Amino acid sequence: MKVVTRVSEALQIPRKKPITGARAIAEAVKLADVDVIAAYPIRPYTGIMNALAEMIANGEFMAEIIVADSEHSQFEIAKHASAVGARTFVGSSGVGLAYATEAIIVTAMDQLPVVAIAGCRALDDPGNFGMEWNDVLLFRDSGWLISWAKDPQEALDMTLVAYRVAEDRRVMLPHFIAVDGATITHIAAPVDVPSKKDVTEFLPLYRPPYPLDPAYGPVTKAQHIAPSLIGPEQRKHVDVAMKRAREVIVEAWKDYANYVGREYSPFIEAFHMDDAEVALVTMGAYTINALHAVEKARKDGVKAGLIRLRYFRPFPFWELRKVLSSVEGVGVLDFSYSFGSPDSGGVLFNEVRAAMYENPKPALDFLFLGGREPKPDDFVRALKILYEYVRTGKTPGNKRVFWLTLRGEDV
Amino acid sequence: MSGEVRLFRSVKEIPPEDYYTAGRRTCAGCGPALAYRLVLKAAGPNTVVLGPTGCMYVANAHQFLTSPYALPWFHTQLGGGGAAGIGTAAAFRALMTKRKRIPEEINVVVFGGDGGFADIGFAGLSMGVSYDYPRLLYVLYDNESYANTGIQASSTTPWGATTTFTPSGKVKRIGNERLKKNVALIMAAHPGVKYVATATLWPPLDLPNKVRKALESGGPSFIHVLTPCPKGWFTPPDLAVELSRLAVETGLWVLWEYENGKFKLNYKPSPRKHVKQYLQLQGRFAHLTADDIEVIEERTKKEWEMWMEMERTGRLIIPWPSSPGDSGDNMTL
Ligand SMILES: Cc1ncc(C[n+]2csc(CCOP(=O)(O)OP(=O)(O)O)c2C)c(N)n1
Ligand code: SF4
Ligand SMILES: [Mg+2]
Repeated sequence: MKVVTRVSEALQIPRKKPITGARAIAEAVKLADVDVIAAYPIRPYTGIMNALAEMIANGEFMAEIIVADSEHSQFEIAKHASAVGARTFVGSSGVGLAYATEAIIVTAMDQLPVVAIAGCRALDDPGNFGMEWNDVLLFRDSGWLISWAKDPQEALDMTLVAYRVAEDRRVMLPHFIAVDGATITHIAAPVDVPSKKDVTEFLPLYRPPYPLDPAYGPVTKAQHIAPSLIGPEQRKHVDVAMKRAREVIVEAWKDYANYVGREYSPFIEAFHMDDAEVALVTMGAYTINALHAVEKARKDGVKAGLIRLRYFRPFPFWELRKVLSSVEGVGVLDFSYSFGSPDSGGVLFNEVRAAMYENPKPALDFLFLGGREPKPDDFVRALKILYEYVRTGKTPGNKRVFWLTLRGEDV
Repeated sequence: MSGEVRLFRSVKEIPPEDYYTAGRRTCAGCGPALAYRLVLKAAGPNTVVLGPTGCMYVANAHQFLTSPYALPWFHTQLGGGGAAGIGTAAAFRALMTKRKRIPEEINVVVFGGDGGFADIGFAGLSMGVSYDYPRLLYVLYDNESYANTGIQASSTTPWGATTTFTPSGKVKRIGNERLKKNVALIMAAHPGVKYVATATLWPPLDLPNKVRKALESGGPSFIHVLTPCPKGWFTPPDLAVELSRLAVETGLWVLWEYENGKFKLNYKPSPRKHVKQYLQLQGRFAHLTADDIEVIEERTKKEWEMWMEMERTGRLIIPWPSSPGDSGDNMTL
């Protein structure tokens, strides 16, 4: 009989280690037994590669780790290794993602299930270590799956689930896991690392349908075409894969809960939505701060709720429409810009509005741009403006979009 | 390491099997296509081929859903050649080390153009030869322009060639005023590279044998192949091999290899033919005057003093004067 020596074991409390998000993601990559890793330094995602390099140097697991000459090469390396049949890991932040754009895009069009971390960071100029979403949102139209983690634990879980979804034969698309910069990568939190056995059962070996390997005979991949030959059909493949991903994501999270014991609602996380009259919608690490604001408002008698999107692609429009069906107003907490877009709102704002097209709700956008940290009060203020708008139909300056962290006049 | 390399001693020994076959639509007499065929014959069936964008991507397919490759083949982006080779080789090593695939010797050949390797993918190529993957061969097929986009100058276009971005005009008469970049010398400056060579389509066994040596060298390798391009050079389609021969015999293209820290000249033209015998066959040089051609001849002469010095010492030297015609300082690498 097994002798139980720890209180936590006796009480069956999962043992959690306080580790940073960067370390947590590296643990997931190790558990997934990734074969090829391509690295290039840029804050804040670098810590993940540092951790992996150390693990490999110390023999904790085996992988080829390549220090690339650029992010373009980094993503090309991952793409080509994936085509051979290797499980791959890559990542970047800010301008690094922009630099790799071409390679990132063809990876999706080639339907190669590369998994990448986007450690969200403001794009240059000026150089800025702050957090914005625009770097990863550059790829919102490209055929990459994009999920958004709220803390180190979820970043680890999402990484494992990303491999499972991306490599599913019904999908075969690359997958970004977006993490809100240093708020996740550099902050230590208690994290439960699943057992190797559970992960191995949850995540079968990667087997591409047509590996680029002489043992499988000659395949020609991504041959140049005249547009009339298979132009639309090839795009349709990607479209169908993205559509199928919805059911695969639901299955994968259910299965993950069975093996690892942590349950998530796959697409959206809803707080206090049962009787909510106004709702905030956001993604990522600031959810917790938004929740404090919502709970504070509830104490003051405002029926506020909060929704966190866990996926940006595929966008959970159906789930969002349903959960918002009974609210009277929606406020988006948005860390993205889209200059010149409808109402000059952020990317998330206009996606949320598009999702509500069939059942429109009054909606406001609260922008947190340029990387300046929001204060808890900013979220409280957002709710106040939203609540006032719902009651009176009026907003300060009759605006739809508010730059809440801006100093000076928000013209 | 090159002890067991099986070299071809006669053309008859070159295998009849083709891995680059029909189903393409390159121009008649295309030099890069002939090089492709020879490289893959020498590499053999256990090879993965990667193709950066360029004529050897677009002109090898496009019109019909055909593929000329009887080997696993994958496109890579114009600047992605170096990384594509590394990613592919890394995958094989990882899968074999981890017993996810049966261990076996597999060649990875990246066949990229001068635009792809000497310009946009230069940094990636440099990274590619800095890792220690065996049987990873980068072949630069040099048609001396961005041919596929309609013949624009690259950094390997020779001085005096007219291209669509460097036309010879009334004020700017010379056409391309930049000097041809010597990519092989730069590749030889990478301490991890195991084999570096230049080649062209003549003599016939030179290129296939260099491919064999490169793949057996035990590490990453690079071969810079001059490949005449009838469309971009304004030459008749039956001259690809003849132009290759003349490039070597006039000394404008120097056949050499670098292995185990030693430089070796493979062909010494004696007597060296005058460069005009090569230049006068090509429409891209038709605007050059006799004086312009003398500038090239003088420069070639000066350079050859250095190539001979390299042959004598077995060391690499940067061989050219600073601009056409004048004799600058030479630097020993
Ligand atoms: C990033 C990028 N820029 C530009 C192009 C357009 N383009 C297609 S083929 C080509 C020419 C490449 O020249 P080279 O590598 O010398 O090959 P060649 O066409 O001469 O065979 C160019 C510039 C491209 N495909 N990708
Ligand atoms: S343009 Fe030149 S390189 Fe391209 S297919 Fe024609 S001959 Fe070959
Ligand atoms: Mg070219």
